[in-house]
Formats: sequence, structure tokens, C-alpha cells
Amino acid sequence: MPNEIKTKDDSPVVKERKTDEAVEAGLARLTPERIKNTINQVLQKETGPRFKAYVETCMHCGLCAEACLYFLSNDRDPAFSPAGKVKQTIWEMLEKKGEVSIDFLRRAVHIAQTQCNVCKRCSMYCPFGIDIAYLMLLVRRICHKLEITPLYIQDTVNSHSATMNQMWVKEDEWIDTLQWQEEDAREEFENLRIPLDKEGADVMYSVIAPEPKFQAGLLYQAATIMHAAGINWTMPSSPGWDNSNMAMFTGDNEISGRIARTFYETAARLKVKRIVMGECGHAFRSTYDVGNRWIGWAMPPFEVVHALEFYHELLTSGRIKIAQKFKKTVTLHDPCNVSRGRGLHDMAREVTNMLCESFIEMTPNREHNFCCGAGGGVINCGPPYKGERMVNNRVKAEQLKATGAEVLIAPCHNCHSGLEDIVHHYDLNMEVKFLGDIIYETMEKKIYKPGE
Amino acid sequence: MEENKSFDWSTDLKEVPVREWEDRFVWVEESHVSPDGETIASIVNVEEGVFTVCENGETWDNEYDKAWSLRPLPDGKFAACVSSDEEWTLSISGDEWENWFDFIWDLQVNQDGSSLSLAIQKDMEYGMAVNDEPWGQMYGNINEMVLSDTGSVAAVVQVSPMAQADIEVFKQGIFSCAVNGKAIEKNFLNIWDISFDSSGKNVAYGVRLDRTDYTIVVNDIAWDKKFQSVWKPVFLSGEDSVVAPVKEGGKWALYKDGQPFWKTQYNQIWKMVVSEKTGNIAAIASNKFGKWTIAQNDQPWNMTADQMISDLFYSKDGSTLVAVLKDKGFWTLAVNQKKWDLSADKVFTPCISSDGKVVCVVIERQGQYFLAVNNIVIPNGYDFMATPVISPDNTKILQKAVKDGVYQRLIMSTDKIL
Repeated sequence: MPNEIKTKDDSPVVKERKTDEAVEAGLARLTPERIKNTINQVLQKETGPRFKAYVETCMHCGLCAEACLYFLSNDRDPAFSPAGKVKQTIWEMLEKKGEVSIDFLRRAVHIAQTQCNVCKRCSMYCPFGIDIAYLMLLVRRICHKLEITPLYIQDTVNSHSATMNQMWVKEDEWIDTLQWQEEDAREEFENLRIPLDKEGADVMYSVIAPEPKFQAGLLYQAATIMHAAGINWTMPSSPGWDNSNMAMFTGDNEISGRIARTFYETAARLKVKRIVMGECGHAFRSTYDVGNRWIGWAMPPFEVVHALEFYHELLTSGRIKIAQKFKKTVTLHDPCNVSRGRGLHDMAREVTNMLCESFIEMTPNREHNFCCGAGGGVINCGPPYKGERMVNNRVKAEQLKATGAEVLIAPCHNCHSGLEDIVHHYDLNMEVKFLGDIIYETMEKKIYKPGE
Repeated sequence: MEENKSFDWSTDLKEVPVREWEDRFVWVEESHVSPDGETIASIVNVEEGVFTVCENGETWDNEYDKAWSLRPLPDGKFAACVSSDEEWTLSISGDEWENWFDFIWDLQVNQDGSSLSLAIQKDMEYGMAVNDEPWGQMYGNINEMVLSDTGSVAAVVQVSPMAQADIEVFKQGIFSCAVNGKAIEKNFLNIWDISFDSSGKNVAYGVRLDRTDYTIVVNDIAWDKKFQSVWKPVFLSGEDSVVAPVKEGGKWALYKDGQPFWKTQYNQIWKMVVSEKTGNIAAIASNKFGKWTIAQNDQPWNMTADQMISDLFYSKDGSTLVAVLKDKGFWTLAVNQKKWDLSADKVFTPCISSDGKVVCVVIERQGQYFLAVNNIVIPNGYDFMATPVISPDNTKILQKAVKDGVYQRLIMSTDKIL
């Protein structure tokens, strides 16, 4: 195998399937009747021709297998192929008319929540374009209703439901963090503001909850970029600031929709023209495709601009000028939700080339790139599953190592965190950065004036 | 509004120069205008780490380490959250509350301005304060704060501690609705969207009972029926009855006191408004995926918007219903089923005459603000405009606008516009 790699401590591959206390407690509460009723309710009342078409169209050809990083990372074990995962979960539920065992459900929730990133790479390999991610999300929906969703991701959904952000960030903590970052950033730009609740601003900037919780420096960076670019912008002080949506990944569609509604109604309250979001992929999927549609908005009611597109606009319009290009060799990871999902991969390369002197492609790339292995809520299932996640990401590590790059650009939070884990686990000796990190490092620290 | 009678409706033009503020201060933040249009104010930075508020060129007596959330009050004064020595309080045109807190936010003002409320945090405990009176009981967290017209307040509070990622404790229900500081002795997984009745004594709210079941609770009594989801309930005017959008069988319907109310099942229905005068009920609704309309008394309008309907307002006499909407990429209004021709990048809060015959609204096009009256855009563009006011006799409009560094309070006759 080319670029064969070892783990940092040369630890043995983890093969057994983990579980956690929430899954086990949920399974212990189940009765055969509840299992059967729940599965049949979801399959009969919440699916339609789409599901029927997928089930009836699949020829079991196995072409999807080559697409899946889990299959490739696990020595082509068919159990990890997309069709194999469908066979072990939703097909059996359907075939047995919901009469499945506790052990079956333990395996099903494990597969659907931790062995599929719902990255949709397999749909490109399927001759019929079957959306296998949808089928896995259907399994997650059943698991949600059976209350056997893994612990840590369920806790983030609980947080969403109570606070409208995924990390239990209290309302005062959010505002206080913005004011703290604003104050710190005034060391660089003496008049810099993070304008809160500015009705009629052109842009509402939104982020995900890990930023105020753990990565406040990203708020600082974003504020300096907005300020230098002369953007008429605002951030909400109220719930609705967090654009993330883990409920979308546990099948809690009701909470997912409530999150999307809060998000867009916040933008409507502030009377902004458009919403710019930080470097997060799943949040884009939630606001652009999933959460909005559950609510009934066929398309987002506001223009939603992913950071990638926004940076491209700032750089090409001259609002942000690069003082000196980034010198280290970089490679670029394509986040599934903005690459396969939105087609921003070429724009990402243009931004990277505007910022960096030396860009090395990873292979495969663009819409064919491998998932980071963290997305789709997999990393959010937390520590119990981290060891498996590392094993299941071996091909990604091999792909990264082959580039020889010093820096890995990951313009998505989940990708960034997941790739940090891979880099560390496989001792790849790469720095993982957001595009915003590089813009902040390389930009001219002066305020844009039209015509200058 | 009755208080509009006291406004000066006879002086055509009053001006306040504001550009000079930019020379006096390091920076000047967003402008806010009093309801009577007599005063324009901004938070200003005096020097590094020193803030105050400038009203018509006069600064407040006190300066602060921080100031934010400046709001005009019905009596013409302004309120802002201010901080000194890492403590926070509310300052009303320079007069501070006696109580200081570790943090304050969510300033709300009731309709007549008699009550001002804040969410407060002190020693990592949470509550509310109304007119400088903090709640006697504080809680582990607070969300969804509401101030009623009578001055009563309510919020969702966390009444039991929960360890990190303890989903079993969460499942037992750790949230309650607290009214004027006292938590109702009924906990839920989630509580959202608290509404007061007109007396300010009763509350209704949406709850999640368990992983998948939702219902409506009035004070401490839950409706018998469980639903797939619920949106904000409202009290009907002059009645004890509560209506709420609920989801069952994959469709949304309006229920009243736990029983089906409107016959139509919608793809979506929310944001009900009730006319106090007529008792009519209107809501933002969708009966076809991606198409939004208004349903009044269960009759959908003969009009749709393909992106969003954000707000809905009745005139005081109930004769006119105005929707703020976005269609084909632009914002506009629809008045009594008829979509206005004008399209804008932004549409602000409309003002409706008490007889429902005049609707005016500030819009923004390509960075310039304009006033639109009954679908007619007045050509003069401004750098900024605040929400206009219509005179009690419905013959004049008070326009509040800034152009070329001067704030103008302008009285216009509706005859000359329409």
C-alpha cells in the first residue's frame, strides 16, 4: 500500500464496536412493542416515494464501496461498505417489519452514528445516485425516537433545545465573550467594534458555539477581517447566533427545524441583507438545505454566504489585501458539505492560491475528496468512539501524508477538529489551519477605503 | 397611540447637526431616535475605554467603561446597559439604577414605558430585574425572557443542577417557567415561547414532555393532547382561551384550549396576531411547500411570497392587516392581501394609521433609506431613517431621518404624498 502509515504509538488497530452509557440505558428501556411500533411509524409515516425508490432501485452492485473511507480504511471489509451498512440496518428493519432485537439496534445505532459521515461520496459512485446518507439518517431518526442516540451528541442536541446553541453557552457568556474579543482586538485596530444587534446592518455574521466556548480567537480574527474590509456588519446578542445544528445529525428533526427558524428569524429581526457564516460545513448544510426545508423554506430566506465565498469576495474586490503570501507549503481539504454539497471547491483553491505561495493538491480532491471522518456528527459522538474514528480514517491519513505539505487547510470546524486528531494519531507533522487563520496572518492590517 | 397627541405636529422641520459628533468623539455608534422625534442619540467613545451617550449633542453626566444596547423610551429618554469596574447596571439618560450586577442583557420596555426589564447575572446565578427590582430568587440559567404590558415578567429558568453531559438528569426535566421570579412547580425537558394574557397574571407556553411529545401549558396545566411539535401560543383578547399552532400527523393546525380550532391543516403556521378590536386572528402560513401566505380566521390570502413573511401587524381598528415579506429576492409589504409594487433590500417595521388607511415604512435600497407611504416611495434618499409615526388624526407623518450629517425631524402632510 502506498504511503503506508503507522499510528504515533504504533498501537494496535481497534476493531471492537464501542457503545456508551446513553445507548445502553436507552436499549435497556426498550420493549419489543416499542421497537416495532417506532420503526414502522417512521418507515410508514415519515417516508415516501423517495425511500421506496431507493429500496427498489439498489441492485446490490457494491460500486458504492469504493467511495467509502470506512470500507477503504478497514481493508475493504464489506461490512463497512455503504450497501453493507444499509443491509445491516434499514433493510433488516424493513424486512423484519420492525421486529428486530436489542443487539441489532446496538449495532444499527453504532453503524448509523459512528460509521457513516453522511458525506454523500457514495452517491456519486452509485449508478443510480441513491442517497445512502438519507438512509443512514433515517436509521438515526429511528434511534432518536427510541432514545438510543450516543451520549455526547445527544447532549449537544439537549443544549440546542434549551439554549439554541450546541455547547450550553449561557446568554451572558456569549455577549461577554464578544465584548472581550472586541476589547482585545482594539489593541490592533483602535476603533474596532463587534456591533451587537445593529438593525439594518448589511451582514449578520454567525458562528458555531465552539467559537465562544473554546476558540474565542476566531471571533477576534473575524472581527479584524470585517473591520479591515469595512463591512457594515452585526452579530446578534440573542439566541440565533449559533448556526450549527447537531439535531440534524441525530434525526431530531423537530429541534433541527426550531434551530433553523430561530436562526433566520434572528436575521429578520436585525433586518440584514445577508448572512455570512464562519468556516463550518455542517452549519451550511443545515441552514442552506436541511433545517430550512423542514420548516418549509424551499430555499434559505436570506442569502447565506459561507466564509469561503466571503473571503473570495473580499480578496477579489480588494477589500482585504495580502501583505505577504503565506510561505509554508499547504494542502487543502474539501469539506463535504461545501464542496460536494455546494460546489465551492474551485473557489477554495482560488482563495488558497491568493493567500499561499505553495499549494499542493491532495488526491483525490474537489468533490471527490475523502471526508475528514469527523463530519456528520461522528466526532460529536465523543471520546468513546475516538479510537475507532482514528482507525476508520486511515485512508485520509495516507492521503494527507502523500502531499508532504507542512500545513493542512481545513475550512470547516468539524473537519478541522477531526483532522487535528488524525494528524496527531498518525504523527503526520502537519499544522491544521482555517483559511481565516492564514488571512489574518497575511493581510494588511489597514482599513479598506474605496478607491485606494 | 394616545401619547402621540402630545407630540409636536405643527413644526414642519427641526434639525440637529450630528456630523460634528464625529469630530468631538473617537467614534460614534448607531443612531437612535426618540418616539417623538425630538431627540437623536448615540453611544459615543470619548477616549480609550471611556463611553457615554450623546443626546442632541449633550453627553450624559457619567462616563463608563462600556455601554451597549441603547434604546429610546416612550417618554423621550434613552436607556443603555453600562459598566464600571466590571459591574453593570441600567442607565436612563444618565441616571443609573441603584442595583449593579455581574452582567445584564435583554433590555425590554413595555408599551407605555412604565416597566423596563433586564436579564441579570450575579455570582453566576440568573434572574431578571424590573424597574431596578431584582428577583428575590435566582436560578442556574435563564432564557426566553418576556416582559408583559402590565410589567409582569417571565422566563425559562433552570431549577435543578445538571452535571456535564448528564442526559438522564435532562430527561427528568430541569426547566420551569418563572413568573415574577417564582418558578411554577412543574418542570419540563424544554420550555419555549412564553405569552402573557392582557392582565399579566396568566402565562401560556410550549413545552416538550419527553423526547418526542410536545404540548401547550397554561400556568401549570398542560393540555391533555400531545403533539409532534408546537409553536408559540397566544391568549385571545378578552378571553381566557389560548390558541397555538400544533403539529400532528405531519401537518400543522391551530388548536384552541387543547381542541381543534381552525379546520385547515397547513404545511406550516406560526406567529399569530390577534386584533384587540375585532378579535380576528391572523397567522403566517404555508399551504404549499416554499410558498408563504397569511391565514386570517382560517382563510388564506390570495397572495404568496416565495421566500419569507417575517412579521404581521393589525391596525388599531383591526381593519388593516400588514405583512412584511420577501419575494423573488426583494422585501416589500402586503396590505390586506395586496402586495405592494415596491421592492427593497430591507424593509423596516411599518407604521399603520389607527384607521388603517395609511401605511408607511422605511425601506433601504442600495444603501439609501427612503420612506414609502401606501406603496409610494418618496424620492428623497437618506443616510439613515428611524421608524416614522402617524399623527392621531391620521393626516400627518413624522419622518425621522439623517442626511449629510444633519438629523431632520420632518412633519409631512399625507395629503401631499398620496
